[in-house]
Amino acid sequence: MMEMIGSILVLLGAVFHFSAGLGMLRMPDAYTRMQAGTKASTLGNTLVLAGLAFYHPSWSLKLLIIVYFVLMTNPISSHALARAAYSIRIPLAGNTGIDALRDEQQDLRSET
Amino acid sequence: MVSNTVLTTGLLLILTGLWGVLTHRNILRIIIGFSLIGTGTHIVAVAIGYVKNGTAPIIDRVLNMSEAPSRAVDPVPSALVVTAIVIGMAVTAIMLAYTIRLYDSKKTLSIDAFTESKW
Amino acid sequence: MTHRIFVVIAIVLFGIVFGSVATSYTEQHSLRPLAEGYVKLVPQKLGAPNVITGILLTYRAFDTLGEVAVLFMVGAGVVLVLSAGRRPRAAAHSPEDPRPSSEIVQTGAQVLSPLVAIFAAYIIMNGHLSAGGGFQGGAVIASCVLLVLLAYPQYQLNIEFLSITESVAGALFVLAGIAGLILAGGFLDNRILPLGQFGAFFSAGAIPVLSILLGVKVGCELSVILDGFRPEPVGQKDKV
Repeated sequence: MMEMIGSILVLLGAVFHFSAGLGMLRMPDAYTRMQAGTKASTLGNTLVLAGLAFYHPSWSLKLLIIVYFVLMTNPISSHALARAAYSIRIPLAGNTGIDALRDEQQDLRSET
Repeated sequence: MVSNTVLTTGLLLILTGLWGVLTHRNILRIIIGFSLIGTGTHIVAVAIGYVKNGTAPIIDRVLNMSEAPSRAVDPVPSALVVTAIVIGMAVTAIMLAYTIRLYDSKKTLSIDAFTESKW
Repeated sequence: MTHRIFVVIAIVLFGIVFGSVATSYTEQHSLRPLAEGYVKLVPQKLGAPNVITGILLTYRAFDTLGEVAVLFMVGAGVVLVLSAGRRPRAAAHSPEDPRPSSEIVQTGAQVLSPLVAIFAAYIIMNGHLSAGGGFQGGAVIASCVLLVLLAYPQYQLNIEFLSITESVAGALFVLAGIAGLILAGGFLDNRILPLGQFGAFFSAGAIPVLSILLGVKVGCELSVILDGFRPEPVGQKDKV
């Protein structure tokens, strides 16, 4: 019974990882590709580790620490990459509506 | 069965990396292809050392000293792969350094622009 | 067009060779004689529960010294290639401080870098008891340094300190090997220090000491490689 729940969670995690890869191939723009890669693969990681915790309940604390590390590092590194890409002026996709970082930087410059 | 699956995965990765190196024109994608070839080779090396129903060659509560020679997995390929991973990262670093200097000289990342070494 | 055809032919031929390897490979049922010898000898003669670290740091320790030499050459090569013609690039940048990193990255680095450093020390020190060792711990030290470099872009790494530390660690490694020649069985034998109780923290002779030296050396080398990729600081253009 526990193994069945664990297997379903691992399968869900694999589906999310696959959709992360598919998103990275199909998205139009560097920034949307980074977003697809980070969000889906972090969730896929968390689900696979949660499924593993159902298989081996004695490993739960160690798996929780690993999930904490993944949740801390993956979004921070993708944020740093996206800001670096924006600062070397990689073009946004054609049908982008709002550029929040440009508005924020303009507000900062008009204040000082 | 386990060992055959992992071996096939590693060989597929080497083929994918080789296709990437030979086809792409952008230097950064060629470097990613080399990194894929490296990872595939490490997986193949570890897959060859697998023994049927074996476990890791570390003596602890699960595996005691007397039954280790019959149940442990081959430790020699794992020892070789441990250093190979770090050396692979260092070689990727030197390839990226060369990319920076090539870009400084011709302002483009396409490998078709560098024709001095062709016959 | 012909280039495409040659590429496809090459991939297909490689695929045929790899396919024949993959289908005709049969799993082993017992260890090969050399591996069986190592698995029997390392816990008994060397007192180390981790067979792989025992192989890397005693039986094949000379190969580890060669790999460390390769890593040193690559580090020197990267710094040489990158620092030769960097002056024109530094002049092309706008003459202001490097773009400061965002608050998220700084907070994340403040929370994570002590944890990563402790984790690296744990991996190095536990090399002989469980999975780990010098090379892996050195790579994790370099990733901690990279995190700090990303969060504080105006931080200057002290390259001379890193070079001196790396050279001293390498020299001590070779000296430990020569002490193995004089005091024990051969070059880089680990029986120069007492073997201790099996599975205890201070056991397996000189393997923990060699692990620490290896981890420090690999960490310093990878940090120097990472620092070579950063742009030159403004204000140092006129220094020679």
